Amino acid sequence: MSRRTNALALALAGLALLLAACGGHQSAAKRPTLLVVVNAPFTQTPYLGQAIESGVRLAASEQNQSGVPVGKTTYNLRVQTMDSALSPARAVANMRRAVGEHAVAVVDEGTGIDASWRVAAPSRTPIGVVFEGGKEIVDPAARPNVFRIAPTDHGVAFRLAEYLIPKRLKIGVLHDDSDYGTAGAAALREAFAENRSSVAIDETLPANALDLSSQILRARRAHADALIVWGRPATIASAITAARTAGWQVPFYTPPTGSDPFIRQRLANHPAWVDGLTFASGRLTAEIGVKPFQSFEHRLQSAFGPELVGVKTKAGLEVVQPPETAMYAYDFVNVLAAALRKAATTDGAQITKALNEVVVEGANGDSRGFNQHNHDGVVDDDVYFARFHDMTYAPVRDDPLSATLPEVPQTR
Amino acid sequence: MRKLSTLAVASLLAVFTLAACGEDEDKEALNKDCPAAPAAMTGSHTLPGNFPAPADIVFTSVKKDGPSTIAEGYLNGDISDAHKAVASAVKGASGYDVTKEEQDVADSEVNFSGAGNSGQVKMNQTCRDRTDVKITIRPA
Repeated sequence: MSRRTNALALALAGLALLLAACGGHQSAAKRPTLLVVVNAPFTQTPYLGQAIESGVRLAASEQNQSGVPVGKTTYNLRVQTMDSALSPARAVANMRRAVGEHAVAVVDEGTGIDASWRVAAPSRTPIGVVFEGGKEIVDPAARPNVFRIAPTDHGVAFRLAEYLIPKRLKIGVLHDDSDYGTAGAAALREAFAENRSSVAIDETLPANALDLSSQILRARRAHADALIVWGRPATIASAITAARTAGWQVPFYTPPTGSDPFIRQRLANHPAWVDGLTFASGRLTAEIGVKPFQSFEHRLQSAFGPELVGVKTKAGLEVVQPPETAMYAYDFVNVLAAALRKAATTDGAQITKALNEVVVEGANGDSRGFNQHNHDGVVDDDVYFARFHDMTYAPVRDDPLSATLPEVPQTR
Repeated sequence: MRKLSTLAVASLLAVFTLAACGEDEDKEALNKDCPAAPAAMTGSHTLPGNFPAPADIVFTSVKKDGPSTIAEGYLNGDISDAHKAVASAVKGASGYDVTKEEQDVADSEVNFSGAGNSGQVKMNQTCRDRTDVKITIRPA
């Protein structure tokens, strides 16, 4: 999207909000509603669940300022949360309930999607995956109602391979046995297929295990001089603990879960253990700069408060988590609203079709949208690397993309 | 809620203003004379999957970063010409699709899939009549 278009969109959004501020709240309250369901692991990974919910609620709240015109009727978006508890069975049950309640879309963390998308397929209810990046999740031909705004495992794994292989490291590839870890392992196998000599060991870890000392010892004995740990935050925290407890200062590389506050909370008594942890994720800021993202973060914080990590820097400043996953959820709801306007009907098939045809400006100023060939809203080349120091992270300087990115403030 | 709306409007207008400033800076850079062009690479620049690069691209390097191939070069002309040339070459190639494209004042991206690969062509115009091109091709 050109800057001119960006500027026009911003001006129109500002005008819409201005009109909403002058308008009556009674009429807004009387509007019929369209249900948007958030299917996420609120109890098992609370940070992730709440991040998705906050992004969805902010977008819905902003859309409801003037309502979402669908044909001759203007609707409000109504948000309902359902806890998947990281259980594929519960995720499927939630999807069945969402479809039964005629949800206009489901914003989903991704657990169990291989089964749950089938539940939504007959009604063509659109599903927006905003966390899990597995290759099989999105397929515009086979799963036309499934869309994603989140870094793909393919992008993260290949970018890690592009970043690490030229460093001539012997890499220990560790992944846990969760859905997330298993999908990541498959992506890493593809990424390192042509360079197996770079892999010192490939090991499966039990998800949520507190003690990984024997697996870490095996990696050390395999002469790994860097570890990629692809797993849930608890797995990463346990792997770091096992290595550092044994006095092994091996560098850790992770997928986006490396930035989850849980890891810093678990290692709060050993902040030095977090230093150097490097994760790959989708860039937070677009070419236009940091301001649009900060504006989004400010609106999110105004509505729901800052996402405090619960740790402090050496200088005693509180650490705040940048809202990456919330941004993806926010963007999906805005693309959905644009699709509803275009479809001019609440019929799932028509909304799904329209989702292939609309583009909106995302929270970070970049364009977000899908088309008939591509249901992934984050491109692989937008995966960057960030490294922790003093409980906050910054883009690395030895990767061409990351080196161009600004630091996002994370303290207060 | 009205207070929140007004705050949101103020934030959006601030962003609008800053975006406009950035655009001016980019436009200024585009009026600069170009320095001497970098030397064209010698040897083969065959790309995986017979990637459909525009015929008039001048390649300066092709290298492997792990599993991926990175080709760099330039096209004479501005960002619009370069974007059109790349997008048209990819769209016109059998088995290739443009999965996403974006063009800004001085930079653009064409993301593609085809021939068992996927990747991105990133273009940057930093002076009047030359646009740098970087092609990343990775197994899909």
